[in-house]
Amino acid sequence: MNRIVQGMGIAEVLKTVRGANGYYITNTARDMSQADYKNRILLHTDLLAAPSREEAGYFSLEITGGASVHVDILRKQVDPFLKLELLREKMPKTMFQTLCRGINLFGYRPYPQNVIRFVVKEFARYVDVWRVFDFLNHVPNMQAVFEEVQAAGKILEPSVCFSTGPEHTNEFYVKKVQEILAVTGDEIVLCIKNHGGLGSPKRIGDLVDAILQKYPEMVIHYHGHNTDGNDIGRIVAAAMAGAKIVDASDHAFTGYYGPPPILTVLQTLKEYGRQAVGLNEAAVMETSEVLRPERKYYEYFESQFKGFDPTVQIHKLPGGAMGSSFEQAVKGGFLDKMPEILHKELPKVQVELGNYWSVTPGSQILWTTAVSNVQGGERYSNCSGDLKNLLLGKYGPFPFYQPPDWIYEKAFGPDWRTVLAQEGGMDAIEDIDIEKERKVLADKLGYEPTEQQLVTYLQHPNDAVNFFRFEEKFGKVYVLPPSILFRRGGFKLGETLSFKDHAGKEHVIEMGPMQENEDGTETNVYLNIDHHQRHFVFENAVAEAGEAKALKLSKKEIEDLAKAGDVRAPFTANICEISVKEGQEVKAGEKLVVLEAMKMQTPMNSEVDGVIGKIVAKVGDAVQAGDELVKVTPLV
Amino acid sequence: MKKKILIANRGEIALRIIRAVQELGHIAVAIYETPDKDALHIRAANEAIWLGDGPRCDYLNIDKVIGVAKKVGADAIHPGYGFLAENPDFAKACENNGIIFIGPPSEVIQALGDKVTARQIMKEAGISMVPGTDNLAAGDAGLREAIDFADKYGYPVMLKATAGGGGRGIRRVENEKQLRAELPMARAEAKSAFNNDAIFLEKAVINPKHVEVQILADKEGNTVHLGSRDCSIQRRNQKLVEIAPSLIKDRTLVDRICETAVTAAKASHYENAGTVEFLVDREGNFYFMEINTRVQVEHTVTEMVTGIDIVRTQIKLALGKKLAFCQKDVHIRGFAVEMRINAEDPQNNFMPEGGKTVSVYRSPGGYGVRLDGFVYQGFTIPKVYDSLLVKMTVFGFSWNETVDRLQRCLNNFVITGPKTTIPYYLKLVQDPDFKKGDFDTSFIETHAHLINYDDQANEGSKLAHLIAEIHYKRENPYAI
Repeated sequence: MNRIVQGMGIAEVLKTVRGANGYYITNTARDMSQADYKNRILLHTDLLAAPSREEAGYFSLEITGGASVHVDILRKQVDPFLKLELLREKMPKTMFQTLCRGINLFGYRPYPQNVIRFVVKEFARYVDVWRVFDFLNHVPNMQAVFEEVQAAGKILEPSVCFSTGPEHTNEFYVKKVQEILAVTGDEIVLCIKNHGGLGSPKRIGDLVDAILQKYPEMVIHYHGHNTDGNDIGRIVAAAMAGAKIVDASDHAFTGYYGPPPILTVLQTLKEYGRQAVGLNEAAVMETSEVLRPERKYYEYFESQFKGFDPTVQIHKLPGGAMGSSFEQAVKGGFLDKMPEILHKELPKVQVELGNYWSVTPGSQILWTTAVSNVQGGERYSNCSGDLKNLLLGKYGPFPFYQPPDWIYEKAFGPDWRTVLAQEGGMDAIEDIDIEKERKVLADKLGYEPTEQQLVTYLQHPNDAVNFFRFEEKFGKVYVLPPSILFRRGGFKLGETLSFKDHAGKEHVIEMGPMQENEDGTETNVYLNIDHHQRHFVFENAVAEAGEAKALKLSKKEIEDLAKAGDVRAPFTANICEISVKEGQEVKAGEKLVVLEAMKMQTPMNSEVDGVIGKIVAKVGDAVQAGDELVKVTPLV
Repeated sequence: MKKKILIANRGEIALRIIRAVQELGHIAVAIYETPDKDALHIRAANEAIWLGDGPRCDYLNIDKVIGVAKKVGADAIHPGYGFLAENPDFAKACENNGIIFIGPPSEVIQALGDKVTARQIMKEAGISMVPGTDNLAAGDAGLREAIDFADKYGYPVMLKATAGGGGRGIRRVENEKQLRAELPMARAEAKSAFNNDAIFLEKAVINPKHVEVQILADKEGNTVHLGSRDCSIQRRNQKLVEIAPSLIKDRTLVDRICETAVTAAKASHYENAGTVEFLVDREGNFYFMEINTRVQVEHTVTEMVTGIDIVRTQIKLALGKKLAFCQKDVHIRGFAVEMRINAEDPQNNFMPEGGKTVSVYRSPGGYGVRLDGFVYQGFTIPKVYDSLLVKMTVFGFSWNETVDRLQRCLNNFVITGPKTTIPYYLKLVQDPDFKKGDFDTSFIETHAHLINYDDQANEGSKLAHLIAEIHYKRENPYAI
């Protein structure tokens, strides 16, 4: 037994892994949740699985990071720190792992240095292994996180993002590793981050081999996705070539774009004479037995397309973005155009935009650009703010080549060279006044926020405040299983819900009658909770007399209204910025508001010269296509 | 013979008395003010008479209460605690109207209720007391007296309302400047709270234990004690947790305190049930404080460790029976702890939570737990009375067993709607000093961290609200 346990320092971990006769496995529960269940696997489920996962003896449990921090507060109503605290109680030995997007942290845009350091410090209290990447493989973008992780004495795992294509050679990647080592020193675990599950087993084996030829002592951690159904092949090739740690997940929840089953990895590599060190096979099986009954409650969040998608080798979408892409296609009504988007447009856009790595936030830029190119008629006619920033180099330099001039012209007009010269390159993002933000948050909440609340707020201001208010009102929902929290369509009268809470304790809830009071202003709701009757009163929403029904406007109508100064939301989005004040004069082309949808920001510019009239939208509002945003009174 | 006994009180003590009256085969008559119209004591009694709209003034109205008692033909009145319980005029009015007052004679209440007279009696009986003044003279002369006293015995000193009791009307004064400032305030407060502006001064005993002794005496002067209680765990002189017997290691000291209590009761010609209160300092000195001439809130702990029903005995003694047992028949067995579960938010300075509806009431059961309460699921707590919901009294053979059981019972006690002191007590019973039995009147102050608890019951209630809301909306806005 050479089990790695939480609390070991990096030197001891590296020594143990190097000296072990075999390989280690990381259970990527978070990545599975993100890739195949839109990040909705609840803490309740993870707590059920915790005892057997602890027994299993993994190198680490990847349980936070990526988009999960945001989804935790937005959709699962759970505090991302409390989640780690509660899991730690049940899993004292297992190292917890995160996935951090470098300068973009757990979000989609660069954060100020002091925010990055503040956030990493707080998470480092709970997270032992830090996998850090940048979608442009631009090492300086990861440096602040590297430094904070090392300062906290945690295990740093820098990544080289992997993709395929003529530029993606072993030489390139070995040089990238060298660049990383120059910054981090050699006390690291190196991740080959194959988020798309791209390349053949042979290709991955060759890459591992090439890195080890140059750095024979390197502990390589291979991360892949099973989108094409062949990640077991790549894992075997990686392990045979000398990768010491590989990623996989619990088979009860596998099936599409996430990591492949742990047990299959074990069984396969055993035949090749490779042993999983410290691993308890019975506990791995036990975990899936615990998880299996829970899977049905997450069905709604599974991909709209079932089964593997080997065409990933063409479109290269990362496993973590597959499910949400199909979901957007269904919601946006363009599911029929998916073959064109995925197999024709997306590969074309990839090449045009520099063949960088299709992973957050770069993958969202590629995806929305491809969708917009197919949906919008003329290609690149409607460049998102994020695409423009990419073109301007705001995320970092293009790794291989710059996109062609005509795309710049589409994005910035005939004067694009001037724009590029003036605005191009990475902005130095100014530090924010964290103490000032603390006061702002305290004002919003009406009490002094904890350090952790501030960390969450700094990353997602609007969603964090909504979450804190939700928690104050409705408490800690991790107590509830997915059968209740994710129950669709409400409950039936007289229905009995039996469930176990997060601690495994049995409860029963009977849904009682609902009765309106005499004047119809209130509804009495009765529940029987653990055989005790509860009574709740809800005030009925009053439908205002003459309230206009929401009109469904066509795209054309929305554009025409905009030309008349009545700016409407062109699609379902959240308002993330209001750039003007009432009474302010604006010129055509001037930014009015910024919308955020599909994680991408889109500025809405004025179509006319005029004066700002009423501003209907508020920052943080969710708007539907056709909803009023701002009125501009045109100057005649 | 069947007697009619009127209970001139409300809340849990009214129920407690009704139970004893009915067990004895007598008829219990309840009275109530309008805010108490949904109270349980009305349902439990054999008859219930409405007094008026209140609040509080009708329960305190001697004429009304006596009038009702005469109208229903009551033979006796039990005053409970609080309200008219220690008002000598009320006892006198009963006597004048041929109604038995279940308690000591009015002149005893009068004498012991006046702290200066009480001290005089105890002084003559040779009982040690904290040095103190007589009632202070009015105006500057009184201030002069106070300052002279403090100069002689040293600060801090306690300013007390002569007619005060139950921890009310007491101020601690640290220096002369404060004494000058607070004396007129204390007088004004005494006037408004007790309708008597007499005040006096006492030397403060620093961080003493509060030990009291339950006394029973019949009309022939047979007087016994039922052992000691420790009521040191107090917040601003209000008792929160009471324990029987006292955990003082030196048992001969406890015996001396109990014997002194009997001496004090005899010296004041005491009749019926009463409580003699003492302060005990670190050196084992004990000082007489006062005699409470009523049944105490915390009488339950004494009942649990002696097996003697105090309220039942009170009624029998008042009806002229002799004490059915003598001192050597009284045995103390095991430990009992009473916790006052109040509708208060400890995390918000113990702010009362009156006006809220009890949405869940799930009480603990099993061996060694006794509940004296009056609320039920669906009951809205009146804003105009005190915040006591239920007294949880837990018995155990050893101190450790009692503490374990306290924790179990508090864990099993769920009250939602109003915030309560339950989660605070849960934290308290897990405190190492409490577990060791090591506490004095400074305990709450020196254990301020106990306020940092998680309110689990409240959390569960929030989730129930969430489920109700999903049910109400007929769709789940969170399943997206």
